[in-house]
Amino acid sequence: MKEIAITAYKCKKCGKLHYPFHDRCLECKGREFEKVKPQGNAKLLTYTAIFNLPWGFDQRYLILGVAEFENHVKAMGQIKVDSLDELKVGMKVKPSWEPVKVLQGEDVYGLKFEPM
Amino acid sequence: MRDVAIIGVGMIPFGRRDEDTLMDMLAYASLKALDDAGLGDKSVDAVYVANMGGGMLQHQSAIASSLVDRLSLLPAAAETIENGPASGASAIKTGLLAVASGYYDTVLVVGGEKMREVTGWRATDFVATMTHPQAEYPYGITLPGMAGMFTRLYMEKYGVTREHLLAISLKNQENGTRNPYAHVEMALDREGIYDSPDAVVNNPVSADPLHLYDLCPVSDGAAAVVLCPLEMAKKFTTKTPIVIAGFGQATDTHTLAERDDPTDLKAVSLAAQKAFAMAKLKPADIDVAELHDAFTILEIAESEHVGFFKKGEGGKAAVKGETKLGGKIPINLSGGLKARGHPVGATGVAQVVDIVWQLRHELPKDRQVKDAKTGLTINFGGFGNNVLCFILRRAA
Repeated sequence: MKEIAITAYKCKKCGKLHYPFHDRCLECKGREFEKVKPQGNAKLLTYTAIFNLPWGFDQRYLILGVAEFENHVKAMGQIKVDSLDELKVGMKVKPSWEPVKVLQGEDVYGLKFEPM
Repeated sequence: MRDVAIIGVGMIPFGRRDEDTLMDMLAYASLKALDDAGLGDKSVDAVYVANMGGGMLQHQSAIASSLVDRLSLLPAAAETIENGPASGASAIKTGLLAVASGYYDTVLVVGGEKMREVTGWRATDFVATMTHPQAEYPYGITLPGMAGMFTRLYMEKYGVTREHLLAISLKNQENGTRNPYAHVEMALDREGIYDSPDAVVNNPVSADPLHLYDLCPVSDGAAAVVLCPLEMAKKFTTKTPIVIAGFGQATDTHTLAERDDPTDLKAVSLAAQKAFAMAKLKPADIDVAELHDAFTILEIAESEHVGFFKKGEGGKAAVKGETKLGGKIPINLSGGLKARGHPVGATGVAQVVDIVWQLRHELPKDRQVKDAKTGLTINFGGFGNNVLCFILRRAA
């Protein structure tokens, strides 16, 4: 199981959590951050299935969502289900770091979520 | 600061324009606006061109420099302005500030995009390049996908239903049948896209819970306006000048995930509040509006965020007909992005052109708001992370 290779940033001045990186805190404009790794499982906040895909995806559809980890890091990822019927806003999902697409024969890794 | 008037407008029919290059379309719309302003044989001080994809789709850069040469507007100042799907309004804002400041007297603003010469796959990818390059784009998210996630949340929080979304599709495509510039001049049949079993095939899910007819088409097109100080308008034209009474612009987080409440389109609210304050008007004073309905949910959400309706009431108002011609606040009588089409760089300019026609009372009866004096536009960039609002007023 690969480590989830995203890093969130907690403002040292006001504590606001950011992902992705910002040079200044969105709340207080502080410039010093503590690096935070997403922890534990996650809660699904919203999701969709899209049928018109961008360049780099040779498949019929994609299921995507945004989830919040136990330490409140929020991030987008692909969802490992066959049908949206398996999903519900607020459900617990298990994160993993897996190939999300292939570019010129190379795997591109990213976040995936799976219902628990 | 000087009051700024729109003295000329021009548009070419949106749709699939295989026979025209991007530069052709920009030139045709520009000439129409220059002629309309009484400047057909004269020059202007500056030209601002709104375009998002010339570099990516046509492999062409420095588009404004090329356009002034083609239109014999040399030695006018010229810039291309790229601000995603809000490029059009951004270019008008740039012209507005240049004229208001007193630096330039005559400015041509033209927006154009040619999206149909590439495959749907490439056009979708081109628009998706607006998403965050590390936190969103690699996953395959598209703008319809963002709208799908937003719609799911908006439905849960405010009780928006597919009936509400359907009311927008039906209204705007019906409006499009009366607009000779619209990409889609075809009314929708409710049964065929919603009630009958065939609807699953005719109107499939595109970005759940949004269906095909909740999305605007991918279009080619261009639109243009000419600006000058209000005090000079009579020097060029006998047509009623339309004053840019207010404008506002605001931004929001790049990723949807970082918004405390992703259903709150803060940039729309802030842009509208600034525009209303500058114009010294309130939402109830607006006679007609063009909102950025790239997805049906956005017309509902924007109509609430600018203050026409309370949160949760925009969809119900559309079902009741309050946003049709003759209703409380007619919205997207042009057909909106849904029917007029969405050539991204042109859209913000086209919205203003349609409002100018309304305020000059130049449209046929079946599309004209009677005695319209004020109009509002919302041009929505990214997924609401860069939004511009204009309030236009018919000069006394």
